[in-house]
Amino acid sequence: MTRVFVGMSGGVDSSLTAALLVEQGYDVTGVYMKNWTQDLPGLRCPWADDLADAKRVAVHLGIDFEVFDFENEYKQKVVEYMIDEYKLGRTPNPDIMCNQEVKFRLFLDTALEHGADMIATGHYARVQNRFSVTKSSETASHQVSNRAPASFETWAADVAEDSPTNARLLTAEDQNKDQTYFLYRVTGDALQKTLFPLGQYTKPEVRKMAEERGLTTASKPDSQGICFVGQIGIRDFLSEYVEQKPGDIIDKQTGVKVGTHDGAIFYTLGQRHGLDVGGGLPYYVVGKDMDKNEVYVSRDLQDDSLWRHDIRLTALHWINEAPSDGEYLIRVRHRAPLVPATLTNDVLHMTEPQRAVAAGQSIAIYDGGVCIGGGIVS
Amino acid sequence: MNVFMDYAAATPLDSDVLAAMQPYFAEKFYNPSSPYAPAVAVRREYDAAKSVIASIIGARSGEITMTAGATESINLAFGAGDGHVVVSNIEHQSVLSVAKRREHTLVSVDYNGRVDPVAIKRAIREDTWLVSVGLANSEIGTIQPISKIAEVIRQVRAERFAVGNATPLYLHSDASQGAGQLDLHVARLGVDMLTINAAKMYGPKQVGLLYAARSVKLQPQIVGGGQEQGLRSGTENVAGVIGMAAAFRKADAKRHGEVLRLRELRDAIQTKLCDVFPEAVISGHHKNRLAGHLHISFPGLDAERLVFGLESRNVYVATGSACAANKGTRSHVLTAIGLDDATADGSLRITLGKDTNPDAVEYAVDAITQEVHREMKRIGRV
Repeated sequence: MTRVFVGMSGGVDSSLTAALLVEQGYDVTGVYMKNWTQDLPGLRCPWADDLADAKRVAVHLGIDFEVFDFENEYKQKVVEYMIDEYKLGRTPNPDIMCNQEVKFRLFLDTALEHGADMIATGHYARVQNRFSVTKSSETASHQVSNRAPASFETWAADVAEDSPTNARLLTAEDQNKDQTYFLYRVTGDALQKTLFPLGQYTKPEVRKMAEERGLTTASKPDSQGICFVGQIGIRDFLSEYVEQKPGDIIDKQTGVKVGTHDGAIFYTLGQRHGLDVGGGLPYYVVGKDMDKNEVYVSRDLQDDSLWRHDIRLTALHWINEAPSDGEYLIRVRHRAPLVPATLTNDVLHMTEPQRAVAAGQSIAIYDGGVCIGGGIVS
Repeated sequence: MNVFMDYAAATPLDSDVLAAMQPYFAEKFYNPSSPYAPAVAVRREYDAAKSVIASIIGARSGEITMTAGATESINLAFGAGDGHVVVSNIEHQSVLSVAKRREHTLVSVDYNGRVDPVAIKRAIREDTWLVSVGLANSEIGTIQPISKIAEVIRQVRAERFAVGNATPLYLHSDASQGAGQLDLHVARLGVDMLTINAAKMYGPKQVGLLYAARSVKLQPQIVGGGQEQGLRSGTENVAGVIGMAAAFRKADAKRHGEVLRLRELRDAIQTKLCDVFPEAVISGHHKNRLAGHLHISFPGLDAERLVFGLESRNVYVATGSACAANKGTRSHVLTAIGLDDATADGSLRITLGKDTNPDAVEYAVDAITQEVHREMKRIGRV
């Protein structure tokens, strides 16, 4: 029987993931990844409750349950990376880093060491064997969703012989919930050993199915991304780690100082709120100079700095082999619509300009319904 | 069926107690320190409630300081001095934490969790001013020989008097777990200070008291308007104290019958579970144990899983030790009585109370049996 270790966060998605895998006949072990346990000012870290919720579901399902302690690694690879990036004036995405470094590397490796054949998570995404006959994502997804667990071993064996990087990342059936943006930096090797049982369901369906199965987490509210950032906001979080440093807010058009801020690090391109500049039309952040600790703002929604036709990417990552130059679809942030773009080496050109694409932000690149990888805005 | 068997953690407010408290929220809301007649009436009723409490434990009203629960009472007791203290190594965290902030000696217990009065005597130094031993342990239910320890204290005092050592020596006991099951008469116990908690005897939470004999010079830990003889400032919790008096009076009146009833029910659970699971380990003193208290371990099982499994059957019990969230920090009590990790991790604490009846016992035994079997099967032990 295939042994699957499911990352269980104590939320409804990963709870149902575990339940579905049990029903499909896998030998399932639930794992709580202990990544972050610190309370922050005004926010009690709910990790112990989440852990208890995850374990409660595991007991309900009668599966084994373990806690993997990744606190040090998470701090190093995700939190410190995030703070460093902000210090450089960029806008990083910690969830993407968490998937790349923790969930689909550390968790996968640790699970394999503990005897797992595969891992599973509650992400809304799908994995497909690239050697499936068709390239049409719709047909492919159909095959994936109907793949019986019994045939899995043969499937995995075929794949393993053929290529080292051989699993493709497909968008979720629920386009509104699709989480492939967060997964674009995962490797094909990791995906080959990954199951995403929720990829074919919508969120309302997931809640309903969880309720039908009597899972205690069925009505638990969604957490947003990294829990502490979702709850208190990145600004308050960063305040814990960097000192406030007053600087000028300067109107880009007139060059006149229009206000003061408490640190350029706290401001992101396109941001409107949190600027202590009163009166008249709203200002938007159109740039900043980390060395001078200056934030530049504009009232012009059409300001050049806010809209970009061309994006140069660094730290390109391809889930399988690098794509040839040509027409693709891109997503500039989670839940943003897919828009067409032309890829030439490491530059994306868009006919329709995109708003507020900040340095450090991730761009995921799609070929039809397949997420092929992406890069970080330079 | 809903079966609550965690009375050592919390007790439901008794309906008579609730009725006694009710007028003091809106109707008799007055500040007992105000000068006009309705407030003065409230003051009298507050004082009368304290007298009721005092009479149950054989103390004078003036020797009682009302506090917001047992933890505050313990902090007040330990605040009476700053020298060396002696406590047992199975005390509740509230005692251990406050003891560890000063010079202290931990006295080990035996495998039943009993403190040896001779060991206490040995631990007392020339500069020791306080010995604190809980009347009954909250985890394993073992009842301590407090009056025997009091004898030892008296001996040491006499010895100090003989050699001219003027350091006072007091005996404090946290009786939070004993209320309603044990005699809390301060003279019979021989204590100088006693902590009592309303929340464990069907009274309100955040209401407790410290009894301190007149010889003890307490130092206020919370200062302000000078209420409670200046020992605990803050407007009196009238409803809470009225509630505690009502709860204590009722619990004390029913004590003897309730102890017999709970013991019978507890023994029934113990016998049935030990019949089905001969490998189960019972902790706590066989005889000197709280009547409604059962600490049972299923070696090799994960007690937290059992608690969650039982929860799904509407049976609520406590884990006797660690949970996954604090892995590696097992109960200091279970370590102190020498339980190995595998046994400690499989421990349930089942504590009975006023709504426990034979039906509840039967239901709980059945549920526990099924959940233990289910877990044994999962780990391949059956």
